[in-house]
Amino acid sequence: MSELWSIIVSADPAVRNQSLDAFCRSATAGSLLDECAALEEHYRASTNLYDRVRALFFLYAIHRFHLAAKAGVAHRALIPFAGYENLLKRRYQEAIGIFLAAQSEAGPSEAISSALAAAYRGLAFQTLAGQVRRSVRSVRGNQWMFRMGHAADYPLRIRPELTAKRSGDGGFPILHEATPVRMDLTHSGWSDIFFLGMDYPQGARVLNISIDLAVRGSHTGQPKPPVEAYFRVIDRPVLRMVSVDLESSVEIGDDPGILFDFGRDYLGLLKAAVIASGLIPAGLEGSGQSLTAVLEQFTGKPGHGIEIVSRVNDIPKGSRLAVSTNLLACLIAVCMRASRQTRSLSGGLEENERRLVAARAILGEWLGGSGGGWQDSGGVWPGIKLIEGVEAAPGDPEYGISRGRLLPRHRILSRSEVTEQTRGELQDSLVLVHGGMAQDVGPILEMVTEKYLLRSEAEWTGRQEACRILDEIVSLLEAGDVASIGKATERNFEGPIQTIIPWASNLYTETLIRRVRDEFGPAFHGFWMLGGMSGGGMGFIFSPERKAEAQHRLQEIMSDTKRRLEGGVPFAMEPVVYDFAINERGTLASIADNMPQPYYHLMLPALLRKESASLSGSERSDLVHFSTLGRDGGGLQGLMDRLLPRNDAAPGRGDSLPELLQRFGFDPQMHERIQSDLRAGRIGLAQNRLPVSVRVEDAGEIAESQRLPEHLRQLGADALAEGAVAAVSLAGGAGSRWTKGAGVVKALNPFCRLAGKHRSFIEVHLAKSRRTGSLAGNAISHVLTTSYMTHAPIERRLRDVDNYGYSGPLYLSPGRTVGLRMIPMTRDLRFAWEELPQQLLDAQAQKVRDSSRAALIQWARQMGEGSNYTDNLPLQCLHPVGHWYEIPNLFRNGVLERLIAERPRLRYLMVHNVDTLGADLDPAILGYHIEQRAAMTVEVITRKIDDRGGGLARVDGHLRLIEGMALSREEKEFELSYYNSNTFWIDIDALLSVFGLNRSHLGDEEAVSAAVRRIAARMPAYITLKDVKKRWGKGQEDVYPVAQFEKLWVDMTALPELDTRYLAVPRMRGQQLKEPAQLDGWLRDGSAAYVENLCEF
Amino acid sequence: MQVKKAVITAAAKAQRALPMQTLVDEHGTERSVLSLIVQEAVRAGIEDICVVVYPGDADPYSKLVQDSGARVRFIEQHEPRGYGHAVWCAREFTGGDAFLHLVGDHIYVGENGRSSARALVDTAEAEACAVSAVQVTRENLLPYFGAVGGQQIAGHPGLYRVETVIEKPTPTEAEQELVVPGLRSGYYLCFHGMHVLTPAVMDLLGTRDSRNVTLSSALAELAQREQYLALVQSGRRFDAGVKYGLFYAQLALALCGADRERVLAQLLEVVAAGSAQG
Repeated sequence: MSELWSIIVSADPAVRNQSLDAFCRSATAGSLLDECAALEEHYRASTNLYDRVRALFFLYAIHRFHLAAKAGVAHRALIPFAGYENLLKRRYQEAIGIFLAAQSEAGPSEAISSALAAAYRGLAFQTLAGQVRRSVRSVRGNQWMFRMGHAADYPLRIRPELTAKRSGDGGFPILHEATPVRMDLTHSGWSDIFFLGMDYPQGARVLNISIDLAVRGSHTGQPKPPVEAYFRVIDRPVLRMVSVDLESSVEIGDDPGILFDFGRDYLGLLKAAVIASGLIPAGLEGSGQSLTAVLEQFTGKPGHGIEIVSRVNDIPKGSRLAVSTNLLACLIAVCMRASRQTRSLSGGLEENERRLVAARAILGEWLGGSGGGWQDSGGVWPGIKLIEGVEAAPGDPEYGISRGRLLPRHRILSRSEVTEQTRGELQDSLVLVHGGMAQDVGPILEMVTEKYLLRSEAEWTGRQEACRILDEIVSLLEAGDVASIGKATERNFEGPIQTIIPWASNLYTETLIRRVRDEFGPAFHGFWMLGGMSGGGMGFIFSPERKAEAQHRLQEIMSDTKRRLEGGVPFAMEPVVYDFAINERGTLASIADNMPQPYYHLMLPALLRKESASLSGSERSDLVHFSTLGRDGGGLQGLMDRLLPRNDAAPGRGDSLPELLQRFGFDPQMHERIQSDLRAGRIGLAQNRLPVSVRVEDAGEIAESQRLPEHLRQLGADALAEGAVAAVSLAGGAGSRWTKGAGVVKALNPFCRLAGKHRSFIEVHLAKSRRTGSLAGNAISHVLTTSYMTHAPIERRLRDVDNYGYSGPLYLSPGRTVGLRMIPMTRDLRFAWEELPQQLLDAQAQKVRDSSRAALIQWARQMGEGSNYTDNLPLQCLHPVGHWYEIPNLFRNGVLERLIAERPRLRYLMVHNVDTLGADLDPAILGYHIEQRAAMTVEVITRKIDDRGGGLARVDGHLRLIEGMALSREEKEFELSYYNSNTFWIDIDALLSVFGLNRSHLGDEEAVSAAVRRIAARMPAYITLKDVKKRWGKGQEDVYPVAQFEKLWVDMTALPELDTRYLAVPRMRGQQLKEPAQLDGWLRDGSAAYVENLCEF
Repeated sequence: MQVKKAVITAAAKAQRALPMQTLVDEHGTERSVLSLIVQEAVRAGIEDICVVVYPGDADPYSKLVQDSGARVRFIEQHEPRGYGHAVWCAREFTGGDAFLHLVGDHIYVGENGRSSARALVDTAEAEACAVSAVQVTRENLLPYFGAVGGQQIAGHPGLYRVETVIEKPTPTEAEQELVVPGLRSGYYLCFHGMHVLTPAVMDLLGTRDSRNVTLSSALAELAQREQYLALVQSGRRFDAGVKYGLFYAQLALALCGADRERVLAQLLEVVAAGSAQG
């Protein structure tokens, strides 16, 4: 029997919990491949879900982290495009079959292993998601919703109390539900992830507290339940949904399709709640049934419908308090009460009802394409509770499938276990904040799942430690020792949490902790991470007598730290401090007199425009109510603000769009030409491509850096010693994939802890130059190219940190050109979304994406295709025009001239992307470049599945780099075995001569500009779509696709007069970090250590 | 245990005319609704019948059940306190005896001429306990009936030991509390409007002190106190009190009776004429 399979299926925990890494370290390539073949066979034959999933993760990890490093495994190979296509369509089994066939034909290789790793990982998560979906649907009490497909079959009836009109105004009663949110004292290493709880119920343990909140210093006053829902009958045959805080409403009449269309508006959460509560059962989707008929059955009143209103009281997104899950639960609870699915209409819920609400919240999250943990709806329960996984027993739908049940058990800690005094002291000690960051926790949850299933040693030990800390915190709560709780939560954060997921921490959080500790000393007991990661909602525990002061100071410390870091760290909002109170009631319902005041501000303007004769009874009643409220509570001002336009223009600070355009070198003539070409269809995504007739072939064998003769190293070292080389880091780009269009500077992002501290990309590059300079005995000149959006933040940060201590010559090379973004053409959106191969998502998430894309196409049409994009912060409307310009900018802005003046022997530049962290001034490669006497040497790496965007090719026989957008067909890229690392060694004089210049021209601005324009005109302009974020409300973000153009340096290799060589370099040197999701693999596969070795911090 | 008494409830104020409606039975004889129900009881071997009526209805109803083959008496329900209370009004009549209970607005059409009530009484006498007739019912009809959950008794197909009774459950409650092994998903055992009840039920009804006493709540408690069974009935019941209820009942009676072909031919003619016009 396969050794790994016996680990997976062992009944003995000591064997089952063995780590894969330990096994792989000593294995040969041959034995690993034999194990892979055995695992492949077993996982296909096994019926046990968790055994299969663990086998898939083993296969993924072997291919991703272990096999490529073993002797006898090639680097270069072609990845079959057919397999890649299946990967995108989530047809993983077929993809695996194709990749395995390629492996057995050509032998094992890094390239095929990368493809297999992606497929096994995808299949593992798909299998797990499928199981959660089945479990959620099979929870008793949820199943019927999926069977109901006809209005005549509709089985729910409204509670009669809600259909009896009120005596005073003739309106229908309003049912109000208010729900606290939850904060978790500890989640034992994200143990509330469904997969984890279902496989390892003993380790799935969370301690969470229901709380009420108020933003400190806001008008909302005392803490109250942060989420609320309202339900009432209305005298229109529609389902009306209103989100007061998102200022959005929708009325659905006949067509239930709108209800099941989650991405169409901001009301996805309300829709998911209406469906998950059974009010409009999931089975009705696509049934063609009229919603009006269902509403009539439900209310028993023809011509009547219902209205559901949600409200979040000033709590911003990313609070890590599970606001959205608890709002979902609150909405589900109010709908269940109204439809007689709970025993009582008002008051609290019974335990079995709370469990059902929690199960349905999970269902709602699945419907809405989002996902939380099982602890998230903890606000439905009162007070402090221990939530624990439960082993599946006979009779459970999970029995025989997974070790644990989907739903955990909630044990509310009584007053005898945690005294009133301790609860009070906890409230008096904890300062709860929102740090202002609102990142996506999704990737972290995937990493946790993966590491759990692999049982990597350190992480597994960390998980056990996290469980011990939970027990410790429970004992401390019972003992009433709040100060020690602070120490334990901080130990949890510093220890197990970061051992399992280093990315849960960041420079911002660590700076806050350090500053608070420096200032408060022993009165600061500890830090407390809330939810999935730090940076958003967080807790700091102080001695009670210092709490008020700490609240005040934390606000200042957070705002100040944010100001210092925001150039490189994406903040969604200004940090806030909360006031909070433990909620001892859980979710609670009552009959309310009115809707909340902002509801009237939102809905009344439309009513006021109606003829009074056409107002219905409910509408009249609303008007009466509001006029009473308005007179008594001053609500009229809010309504006036909505009805009448306001002048929001801020006094001019020189930051308006026209001012920015002028300041950053916007060329209106070029813009108009590109705009008219775009509108006329002369340029666009489809037009980026070379004609099909152009022959594109693989480059074949090229020189490899690891096989260079030894004398070249000395040649390069001599050049370094005499100051003949400078490093140029391209830091003008927005890094939109890194920050998802947040508009911060990627180069400044403190992305990873290296040598004990969080370091930014720029700091790493300077550390490499420092080390090279030390070895060469001559400091390296280092240039950072910047653009309109990166220059000021980089300059400021370098000043703040004293150039990260870099003592060599350091220059900023500011950009000289800027573009204005445009509303995309719908033809380009369709091309990108419908014709280019797309990664399909999980069925429910894909539905959400499809509908939001349809909405975006509509948006582009309404805004005017090809027109200027101006509906955002001015800086977000500009775009850098591609890194082609960043090198000629050195000629134009005088930086090259100054470099030469300081180092007259300067002859070479090494230009690299800011995210190519492994690129350094390697003497051997430099020696190769010198010996070849080439104008330019390009570093390439062998392609892995994630390396997308062109590569090295023979184009009609000429060896050159080709950009992915220019390839005539997608699959062409898969015929190219080398990928461009975008690191270029340039001979300055040879390059100048291609521009028709020499060193003496560098001071002649006119001659240089003319030369640059001349070559620029020979470079293709690519139209690209970029995501840009628009922020609004309280930490809400919308992402819009915008069109922009760019010129790329790779196209220089097409110029016959530029003599170019190509050199294959190791992956760790040439790979780029494009997305934060790559970081974990980068750390685990040794890349981070490789980079660390190149640095001298 | 012998079952010789029956209680029929027909006290709903809104349905006072219903027992007097006339239908044609399987044999082609015109009969009132009440007489059809009484006939069902008589076929089950019942000798004494008590009909609980709205005040003032005893006289008109008594004319409908002359020559029924059993002794029939009428008791008035003076307070409209619900269905359970109406049954309880007959407590003196039932005394210490088990009794058959039928509702006054349901018409039963047995399979192959077999009486549903007979089968129920036979089971109750054999098992010496309360038995309710139930029908396998789809979940969309849950808002109309009481429903039971329980376990099938080995060796007795169609007979269940009742563990839970819920009046008009939501499908959510039904799925959590009333799933019965062996039934298709989405189907539950709902009351058929016909029970054999023991004296304990009267005691339980007597302890209820509310404005709307339900029989289901008493039966739920009964299930915790003594053996209480449910017998699946294959015959059909028709609620004559709902829209088209009388029509459907008439149709069912006619189609399983002597005039089947005549009625079918007439129906087809109506359908054909309708199609031609459409």
